[in-house]
Formats: sequence, structure tokens, C-alpha cells
Amino acid sequence: MTLFHFGNCVSLAYFPYFITYKCSGLSEYNAFWRCVQAGATYLFVQLCKMLFLATFFPTWEGAVGVYDFVGEFMKATVDLADLLGLHLVMSRNAGKGEYKIMVAAMGWATAELIMSRCIPFWVGARGIEFDWKYIQMSFDSNISLVHYIAMAAVVWMFTRYDLPKSFRLPVTILLGLCVYKGFLMELFVHVFLLGSWTALLVKAVLTGAISLCSLFLFVTLVHSN
Amino acid sequence: MFEEASEVLENMLKWSLPLSLVLFLVLLRAEAAHEFSVYRMQQYDLQGQTYGSRNAILNTEARTVEAEVLSRRCVMMRLADFSYEKYQKALQQSAGAVVIILPQNMSTMPQDIVQQFMELEPELLATETIVPVYFALEDEELLSIYTQTQISSSSQGSSSAAEVLLHTATANGFQMVTSGAQSKAVSDWAITSLEGRLTGAGEDLPTIVLVAHYDSFGVAPWLSYGADSNGSGVAILLELARLFSRLYSYKRSHAGRYNLLFFLSGGGKFNYQGTKRWLEDNLDHTDSSLLQDNVAFVLCLDTLGNSDNLYLHVSKPPKEGSPQHILLKELETVVAHQHPELKFSMVHKKINLADDTLAWEHERFGIRRLPAFTLSHLESHRSPARHSIMDKRPHVDLTKLSRNTKVIAETLARVIYNLTEKGVSGDLEIFTEQMQVQEDQLASLLDWLTAQPRAAQLLDKDSSIVHTLEYYLNHYLKDVKRHLVRADKRDPEFVFYDQLKQTMNAYRVKPAIFDLLLAFCIASYLGVLYLAIQNFGLLYSFLRRVTSPRVKQH
Repeated sequence: MTLFHFGNCVSLAYFPYFITYKCSGLSEYNAFWRCVQAGATYLFVQLCKMLFLATFFPTWEGAVGVYDFVGEFMKATVDLADLLGLHLVMSRNAGKGEYKIMVAAMGWATAELIMSRCIPFWVGARGIEFDWKYIQMSFDSNISLVHYIAMAAVVWMFTRYDLPKSFRLPVTILLGLCVYKGFLMELFVHVFLLGSWTALLVKAVLTGAISLCSLFLFVTLVHSN
Repeated sequence: MFEEASEVLENMLKWSLPLSLVLFLVLLRAEAAHEFSVYRMQQYDLQGQTYGSRNAILNTEARTVEAEVLSRRCVMMRLADFSYEKYQKALQQSAGAVVIILPQNMSTMPQDIVQQFMELEPELLATETIVPVYFALEDEELLSIYTQTQISSSSQGSSSAAEVLLHTATANGFQMVTSGAQSKAVSDWAITSLEGRLTGAGEDLPTIVLVAHYDSFGVAPWLSYGADSNGSGVAILLELARLFSRLYSYKRSHAGRYNLLFFLSGGGKFNYQGTKRWLEDNLDHTDSSLLQDNVAFVLCLDTLGNSDNLYLHVSKPPKEGSPQHILLKELETVVAHQHPELKFSMVHKKINLADDTLAWEHERFGIRRLPAFTLSHLESHRSPARHSIMDKRPHVDLTKLSRNTKVIAETLARVIYNLTEKGVSGDLEIFTEQMQVQEDQLASLLDWLTAQPRAAQLLDKDSSIVHTLEYYLNHYLKDVKRHLVRADKRDPEFVFYDQLKQTMNAYRVKPAIFDLLLAFCIASYLGVLYLAIQNFGLLYSFLRRVTSPRVKQH
């Protein structure tokens, strides 16, 4: 029943996206092609990042078990390009803040889902061998959706001209956390030697915290006028 | 909108293609829980009779013998727990396959288990089965797979529905898959034999033939190293070739009054096919050959690497005054005077043509009316030591092997140079100092012979073992020739099958009910998520209420 398992993983990964798309009212705004455009921007940004990393960052030639903190930190810094990409998408869309955020985040996250999850599922989950990592990947994609929504919201807030002074600092901190979340996660796994399920839990908690903070700031910003 | 869409799609395709290609290449390799080599049980036809396991492919779930349902499953057994009844039970329940796990180092096993397995090997082969039977060497991963399978197999019978449900979520089943094709007969297999000679001084001399078969036999061809049977025989033959070639070229002794013909026969364990065809070719189809003229006797060497017994097997007791009788007497003399700890005796067994296979190699010569003996430390040809995969290098005692070599060499020298008639006492040792039997030579020969399996199905005419033996003989003997035996097309005496070594993959699998359980859990998770998203507005308004009093205060 391995095709069944493939179906399980795909539904676990994809349905939340579908539900979010339907329930957030994006379908009423004909936002489908805009989401696709956001996805295309995602692909372009990823390609640029890959080229940049390949050209300027040497391969790590140290010991196997040692974790290259500085190198990984530098690589994570390149993820700032993600923020630029999101900003680009949002600036091209006219409309309310929420609309822009949702379109950008949905398109971005769906593109990531398709690009990085489809093939592992097709090749791996369909095989005879069973591994928990495919279910973990599906959960991870759910968490990514929330993460990208939060990231888009923070980017949007950062670029607002009417952002109060007191909000600058928290927004910047959140922005930094969003970009370096991957790096922090790897750090935790290495230092505390977390198991795969525990790491997933920590990631979910971290993303939840970031998204709650960004939501709080967003609500305050939007309704303070 | 469509222009926009087409532009978007164009962009997407341009960038996604390289990404997906990269991902595809990286992830195309399938991963298995564990991959290991397995060696199949023998499969061959001899004189029309089929033996061994007929099948090679398998793709079944693993179980151990304790499980209740064994049909269409791969039954795994360890050597320590192996017994013939369990094996029969697996076959009767029409198991899909049997995998027997052997320890890496046989010497860790207690002797009685090894002995019991050696005695069971011919029985395993005698029962022709369509079930593929494989042997695997144990390592840590395989052992863990076995223990996990054992736990799940033994708990299958007695448990309630709730326990079974819990079990499915946590247990690991294993699917065993082999990668090869179905086994089929190998066409046109050539069994190679090698002969070489040392010519004596004079005309029309009688010939002494020394024979040893160089192949080995066991329940799995790739695991038959045949140290004692017949690696010891080959080592002795090669050492005798070296000693006598020195003796024959040594100026002061001159060559003896006998020709010496050395023969390394192939296919010995398959009813001495090499010898049989060699005799036919030499006696029926050639005009002149050493075998047609005066043959004094033929001495076959079979399993001489251990123990303090020595038996001379004959099919007809030698007549007084014949060269065979002289050999017998000289053997007794040498043993009595030089090696009293050795127990020597003659064993007389008539050739029984009604048997499926001949007992010893000398019987082939006996059928063609050539006087022959076999020298062995085994008393019976049915001894399990002759056809066992347990027969590895530790089974050979080097000191006893070199002592046996010396006994044979001394005896032959006394016969060739007629020493007893000339009144030379039985105590005189010829092969000493420069001419002594070199134990290091024997040791290295034996180590080389037992370093790889020598089953007849694995030794093609181009194999390295045949080439090395030919090279060695060429170094000491003259007229070294190859002799090939191919099975007759219409009525083959022997048929070998392939797919004797496979790679087996053990994949971790979950039972079908697990997928259903998982689907149920995922459906409930998605339901909860749907409700959460629907009611997202509640969270939003809550936060708004939390923030707005603060704003109002400003």
C-alpha cells in the first residue's frame, strides 16, 4: 500500500494550503495568477541564491562531525534575498495589506512545496521502504506555510512609512529571526542532539512564537490608525 | 489574462527545469534498510537426476520459524537454531524462501552444531525443492533484522486486537528482495583438468599416475572452500611434483625407472567427470598414450590434511608380486619404521555400479581395468567432511599434512628406485635437508587454495585458479596439457545452473493496516486544522481587543 502512503503524505502536506487558500477569501479576488507569479519569483530568487552560494562560498573541508558555525551563518545571511523577493512580490500587487501578504505568502510557500517536496515523495514515499521522514516532511511544509505568512507580514510592516518608532526594533528582531530560523534550528539540533520528532516540535514552537508576535504587531499597526 | 498566464508559465518552466533535474538525479537511488550478499544452495543435474534448490528469485516478507503462518514468507534461521525438522516444517508450509544465517567465523560455533550441520548438508541437497534456499554471513545489521523479525513473529499468535493495533504502529516488518533473475542452466560449461609428466630414464618404462581432484563441494557453491577435501590432496600433489622433478633432474640419482604422470582433475565432486572423460579420450581415442602402455598403478589423493589414520582404499586386493602389492608393502614399511604414530590399513570396497555416484576416484580407473588406489584419512566415502561448507582452512593440520606428504614421497621413492630389493632399510629417509618436504610451501599452497571457493560451477577454463595450477605444473613438469570436458548436448552427464550469488535487500515495511491508521489520523488532523482556520477570526478579534485598550490609553 505504498501508493497509499504517498497519498497520505501528499494530502498531509497539501491540504492545509488548499484550506488556507479557500478560507482566506483569496479565491474571491482572482488571486490565482498572482500567486503563480509569486511562485515564479520564488524560483528566480532560489536560482540566484544557489548561483551566489556556489560561486562565493567554498565547500567545507573540515572534520566531519564539527559544525561550521561561521560558514553556516554566512550561508544563512544569503537568505536575506528571500526577504527581497517577498518585498518585490508585494510591491507589484495593489490592494490591502492583508491581500498582499496572503498572496505573496501563498504563492511563495506553494512553490516551495512543489519544488522541494514533490520529488522526494514520489521517489521515496512510493517505494517499498517505510520511513517516518516523509510524514515529518509533510508537517514541516505545514510549518513552512505559517512561517512564510509571518515573514511576509513582517516584511510588509518593515516597509510601511507609517510604522511607529517603537515598533522598529521588534520588527527588525522578528525579521532577523525569520531569516536565521533555519540556522537556529540546525544549531539546536547539533548542540542538544535532538531527535527528528523533537526537532520538528521545536521548529513548530519557534514558528508559532514568531507568527504570534508578528500577528500581534500587525493587529496593533493596522488598528492603531 | 492568458498572455499573463503564458508569460508566467514560460518563466516557471525556464527556472524549474534545472532545479527539478538536480533533485531528480540526487534522489533516484532507492534506499534499502540493509543490503547483503547471499549465496544460493547448489542446483545441478547429475546423470539426469536433479538436486538442490530450483528457484532463485524472491520478494517476500521475512519471518522466523516461530511464526504460525509461514506460507509465501521468507523464513530466516540462524545456524545455532538450525535443525532439519524446522527446515522441513518451513518447506511443508510452502514457505516462499529460506535464508540460513551463518556466523562470520565458524570457529566460534560449538563443535556439535558444526558436526550436526555437516551431516545435514547431503540431506538438504537430496530433497529437491522449488523453494530458493540462501545462505548469508551474519553481521550486526543482519542480526538486528533477525531479532526484530523474531520478536514480531513470536508475538503474532497470542495477542488481543488492541495489542495488535499498537504493535502495527511500532513494529518493523522486513521485505526481502533479491535483485537477480530466475536461475537457468549454464550452457557449454567446460570443466578443465591438467596433466603433466616426468619421464623416467630408459625406454618402454611403466607409468605411475598420481591423481587429485581440485574442486570442492558444499551445500552452497560460493561457500565451499574445501580445505581438507580436496585442498590437501592438491597441495600434496603439487609438492610431490616439485620433489620428484628435483629428484629426477638430480645428477647423482638420475631419473627412476618409472614415468610419473600427474593429473589434476576437475569436476571430481560430480562423479569424477574430469577423470572419466580423460580416460575415455586417452584409452579410446588416442593412438598412443602413457595410459595405454604399461601402467604400474594409479594413486589418487583425497583428503589427507588431518588425523593420524591413513587408509588405502582398493576395489580389488592387490595380487602378490604386482606393482600394487609392492606399493602396499612399501607403505607399510615406511609407516612402521618412520611414523609409528600413524595407523595405516587397507580398506577393500567393491565397485558398485548400481550406485548413483562412484565412491572414490580410483573406481573410475578400476572400471577401465587400471589398477588404482585412493589414499585418504577418511575411512568411508560417505563421510560428511567430503562435502561440507564447514571444511575451511582450520580443518587442516599442517604438521599432519606435511607428515602425510613425506610418507607418500618416501613410499614412491622406494617403489621407483626399488629400494627394498636392494636391501635398503626402512629407516632410511630420502627426503631430508635439501630435499625435504617444505611446510611453508604446503602452507602457502593451502592458504591460496582456501582463499576462494573452488566449486566446479565457479571454475571456468579461464579462471585464475586453473591458470595458476597450470603455471605451477609448467614450472616442474613437462608436457603440461589441458583437458576440457563439456557435457554432451543431447544427454548431458552434468548440468550446472547460474544465479548462485545474489544481493539481497531487506526493506523496512509497515503492514497495510498501518497506512489506514495513518490516513485516519491525518484526516482528523486536517479536520482540526480546517476548524482552526475557519475560526481564525476569533483569534484576530481577541488580539484586537487586547491591543485596542492600550491604544485608547495613549
